[in-house]
Amino acid sequence: MTVVSMTVNGKSVSADVEARTLLVHYIREALGLTGTHVGCDTSQCGACVVHVNGRAVKSCAMLAGQAEGAEVVTVEGLARDGELHPVQKAFREHHGLQCGFCTPGMIMTAVDMIRRKPQLDEQTVRDELEGNICRCTGYHNIVKAILAASEEMR
Amino acid sequence: MKKSLVAPQIWHPEEVSEAWSLLKRFGKAARVLAGGTAVQLDWAAGAPVPEHWIDLNRLDDLRGVTELADGGIWIGALTSLSALRHGALIGKKLPMLCDAVGRVGSAGIRNLATLGGNVASGSGCIIPALLALDAEVELFTAKGLVRRNLRALLSSSLTPMEGVVLVAIVVPARLPAKTCFEKMGLRRAFTPSVINAAAGLWFDGAGNVVKARLAIGGGITPPQRLSAAEHSLIGIPLSALDWTSLKRDMLGEMRVPSDAFRSAEYRRNVAANAIIAGLGGGVALDAVAGKASAHCFASIPAFVPVPYSEVEVSRAAMSERWRMRPDVTAKVEGAFTYLTDIRKPDMLVGRVLRAGYPHARILGIDTSEAEALPGVHAVVTHRDVKGLNGYGIVIPDQPAFCADKVRYVGDAVAAIAAESEEIAERALALIRVDYEVLPIVDDAERALAPDAPLVHESGNLLADLGLERGKVDEAFARAAHIVEDVYVTPRQMHAFMETEGGYAEPTPEGGLLVCVAGQHGYRDRMQLARILDVDEECIRIVSSPSGGAFGGKDELTVQPALALLALKAGRPVRLQLDRWESVLAGTKRQPMRIRMRTACDAEGYLIAQEVDAIADGGAYASLGASVVETALEHVTGAYRIPNVRSRGRLAYTNNGFGGAFRGFGCNEMLFAVESQIGRLAEKAGLDPVSFRVRNLRQPGDMGYLGQVVAPSDRGRETLAAAAASDLWARERGVSADGRKVIGVGLAVALQGSGLGSAIGDSGAARLSLAADGKIEAAFGAEEIGQGVLALIQESVARVLGCERDDVRPVIGDTAKTVDSGSTTASRMTYVVWRSASETGPELSAKLLAAAAKEMGKQSEELAIGAGGIYDARRNVPDVPLLSFAALAQSLGEAERPSAECGFAFPISHGTVEGNARFLHCHSAVLARVAVDRVTGMVEVLDLDQHTAAGPVMDVANYSGQIEGGGVQGLGFTLTEDTLIEGGTFTSRNFDSYMVPMIADAPANMRVFAMEELDAGDPYGPRGVGELGISAVSPAVAAAVADAVGIWVVEAPFSPEKILIRTGGMSAPAE
Ligand code: FES
Ligand code: FES
Repeated sequence: MTVVSMTVNGKSVSADVEARTLLVHYIREALGLTGTHVGCDTSQCGACVVHVNGRAVKSCAMLAGQAEGAEVVTVEGLARDGELHPVQKAFREHHGLQCGFCTPGMIMTAVDMIRRKPQLDEQTVRDELEGNICRCTGYHNIVKAILAASEEMR
Repeated sequence: MKKSLVAPQIWHPEEVSEAWSLLKRFGKAARVLAGGTAVQLDWAAGAPVPEHWIDLNRLDDLRGVTELADGGIWIGALTSLSALRHGALIGKKLPMLCDAVGRVGSAGIRNLATLGGNVASGSGCIIPALLALDAEVELFTAKGLVRRNLRALLSSSLTPMEGVVLVAIVVPARLPAKTCFEKMGLRRAFTPSVINAAAGLWFDGAGNVVKARLAIGGGITPPQRLSAAEHSLIGIPLSALDWTSLKRDMLGEMRVPSDAFRSAEYRRNVAANAIIAGLGGGVALDAVAGKASAHCFASIPAFVPVPYSEVEVSRAAMSERWRMRPDVTAKVEGAFTYLTDIRKPDMLVGRVLRAGYPHARILGIDTSEAEALPGVHAVVTHRDVKGLNGYGIVIPDQPAFCADKVRYVGDAVAAIAAESEEIAERALALIRVDYEVLPIVDDAERALAPDAPLVHESGNLLADLGLERGKVDEAFARAAHIVEDVYVTPRQMHAFMETEGGYAEPTPEGGLLVCVAGQHGYRDRMQLARILDVDEECIRIVSSPSGGAFGGKDELTVQPALALLALKAGRPVRLQLDRWESVLAGTKRQPMRIRMRTACDAEGYLIAQEVDAIADGGAYASLGASVVETALEHVTGAYRIPNVRSRGRLAYTNNGFGGAFRGFGCNEMLFAVESQIGRLAEKAGLDPVSFRVRNLRQPGDMGYLGQVVAPSDRGRETLAAAAASDLWARERGVSADGRKVIGVGLAVALQGSGLGSAIGDSGAARLSLAADGKIEAAFGAEEIGQGVLALIQESVARVLGCERDDVRPVIGDTAKTVDSGSTTASRMTYVVWRSASETGPELSAKLLAAAAKEMGKQSEELAIGAGGIYDARRNVPDVPLLSFAALAQSLGEAERPSAECGFAFPISHGTVEGNARFLHCHSAVLARVAVDRVTGMVEVLDLDQHTAAGPVMDVANYSGQIEGGGVQGLGFTLTEDTLIEGGTFTSRNFDSYMVPMIADAPANMRVFAMEELDAGDPYGPRGVGELGISAVSPAVAAAVADAVGIWVVEAPFSPEKILIRTGGMSAPAE
């Protein structure tokens, strides 16, 4: 077991975990933040995307230990003072989800994409979402939601 | 799945030399960690965890891109792929490399993964691109820093990177003037590589090639330079190249392996085609990939003179009716709790021991060692099953835990509850099961041979259904045109994002709580009570919400194991299958082979249809026979065919187990029927619309099984709308760059809803005023993503006249609801609407009476509105005279009004020959596709669904079901198949099972609806849970036929077969 410490959603956290613990399990099991989901745990589905030092990463593709000392943001950390992030609002308004299982990963991927590319167009959204599976929606409204959010945040 | 329990030691060298020393010191016990993205993949593939990790991430000198003094470009090995992809220098100087990098993984992977990792793996996707650029590598070795050619390194007999640290990749200053790169995969993006190909050409002043680099690699193909072909290009200008002989040269020297997904022959051909297309464009492709056939593009079809009115179902077109679903806020916040999220302080972790053999006799099970392991609290086997050791919606032939033999690899043999995952894992390994391996049967047809091994004692034939009507042989004898073929459909996997799981706990009252996502909580309870041999009332099932189901959670999943473990341990136990175990154990769509012979007369009227279908049900019955039955109910599709002979058989095999999947036999059968129709239209010289128009069923016709069906047949109207679509006039034929051929295809569906006439199907609900003033609407229904919560709110609010927010749905909990039937078969929309219609008026009257009493008024003076009770004569909405909350407060619990209903789902009357549906909905689907001449892959550009299913109750969920069903249908058609060989799955996870990603989904999807019902049609909205998948496959097949002139009959469509049939590769020698 090793103690792994980092900042998650602005709070310093630390937990004693096995060295092989993946970041996603650290977040879900050690910290109890269940908004980050596991759809495959082999970096195929994107349900586990979080931000590590400002970049969107699949948290099942990373050991918790690799994030030692890092700034991690999960979907629970997006809202500010009870107000949803514009991307969250857009997913809500545009029905960018059904079962909602892919949603946190989609939203975290979208937030990162909008931050990097303030001038988003539809093709870019589709390119950037290439690693996130949604089994329910056919992706259509997810794209619309992200474009709307990007417009809103411009 | 199996993870080693070794705790590795992680080293963080500060200098390259230190990293090198560590590598040297630990040798094979060490593994270098750069981005780390491959680590978990290796574990999942069964690789041991190394003892030492050498984390390079402190070596900042190995990061970044710089232009060297000689003009070369130095790329540090630790540079992340996303930094490379978005870096200005690479983008400007090496666009081909930039492109290649962008085809690796996805953004979330590229942010971590490094170029060095890709190259050092020896099989990275980028290597061919680097070879085409004639790249070099900088290494730290015993001699210090050295520079080597990349190719020399890869072709050295040593494991390339053993004992050295890769410091940088260097692209020399003199860049090729012409380059190309292509990654070919199993789907369009984020895909394992089938093969990658790249080329770089350097020219002299006269335009002759002076240096050439042609390379392949990626996935299972080792990187290779095609030296002989390179040599053959020297001294020739691009314009004078003989593409045919270049292709022959390249094919001749490629060394490429095969696997279960693509043949070596295919890989070689697409690599060669890609290089040729990349260097020579469409003209070159004409020489090596078959001439694009231009004759087959159907013209814009005939106009159908039928009036119809349809709306586009979208937020933009129906903004005034667009509403948000009640669970959406929690879902975007990450605050939504799935049943697999719940943790309790004294909760144990459950694991199931799976058979691992597709067919074997159990000689003995010894759990003593596992039981003795500290931290293990319960081990259960068949010996713990007190009741019926079997479940199955139709026939309970699937054991909760196998006793005498196992029939598929995922069969449950034992389960464990332990204090941690690690202990459970270890305990699992301590259970000894002795097996005697039995011969297997892995093909439905062979299963029915007399000498086939028996999966069940009762024989392998699980169902044999069919009917004959009219004079079939006589009709075929006088037919003008006959089409006959065998259609094959895939073993599609539901691939819900939340795998099967949840928890169970004994209750203080001596009962049992089981919280596992399902699709019919009451039936889960019945099946579980039968296994445990307890009264149903002792069990409380919470079956909602769910992270997707699609039919795959209709049957019991982990409930039996959880229930037995929780009871034995006397503690809460949780259990969730990981993705591999879900693939292994979960139900699948049962593959079908459908032989179909269809005839029409000289005028294009259908006269005969003969169908012989055989389905692979796998090891257990579940709902398999009903699927075949439903398939057979659709053998004439939406048409009148007077003479029909149909047969459908279902066989037990050792191939997993089959059951319900959205579409449920209908979409499988329509793939065949609608393809036949399209082909007959061609033969009869009619366009696809005209042919259908003359054969469609007419309003008032009996159903296929002789049953009376509900009014509001919209076959003609939906067809007319599709015929009038602007899609037909979009770009078709060979694309401007010559790379693709584009076509448009049409198919129509008639899709039934409900369970049918042969089995009981009933609905029920209860509405009541809750203490807090909400109208509680209790349904035994599950929220599986489809939006039943919004549907309940809308239906109840409409009838009562209040707002959606006044209504609180209570679902998926046998302690709080009534049995509304299953959340399947597109039935719940009708059940909810009907329940609201039945209970609403009664509740309304009771609410008004209670309010009138409270206010000292007459009921007639009052009306229900948003939030409460209003003056009936008010003409402006304002605040209610009495809010629901105030009304509820004024009443004692027993006085608060409620209303309950129960009813039979509408079924057919008339002479019914089988299990017939009464309610139907229609769709006409248009697909526009592009067939890639390099790869034979099909890309769907547009998908339009013109639907008619009665009133749209919720705009977002209606379109969501059609779009989502549509893309699942595309998966069925183009990429999805759970590969199984000898009863053992080759597909293990999302890397070997190809769910459509966003790049595979059409960029343009439109959903249209015809909402009106016939006057006098009292049946309200029909569910659309399955309509979206019904006719997608045949629409795509027709579009492919429109583009390249061939009808593909096996789904998922094989790019290899398309390429062979269109001339892009020659058929392999027999
Ligand atoms: S759980 Fe991480 S990508 Fe699927
Ligand atoms: S909403 Fe269910 S997976 Fe995306």
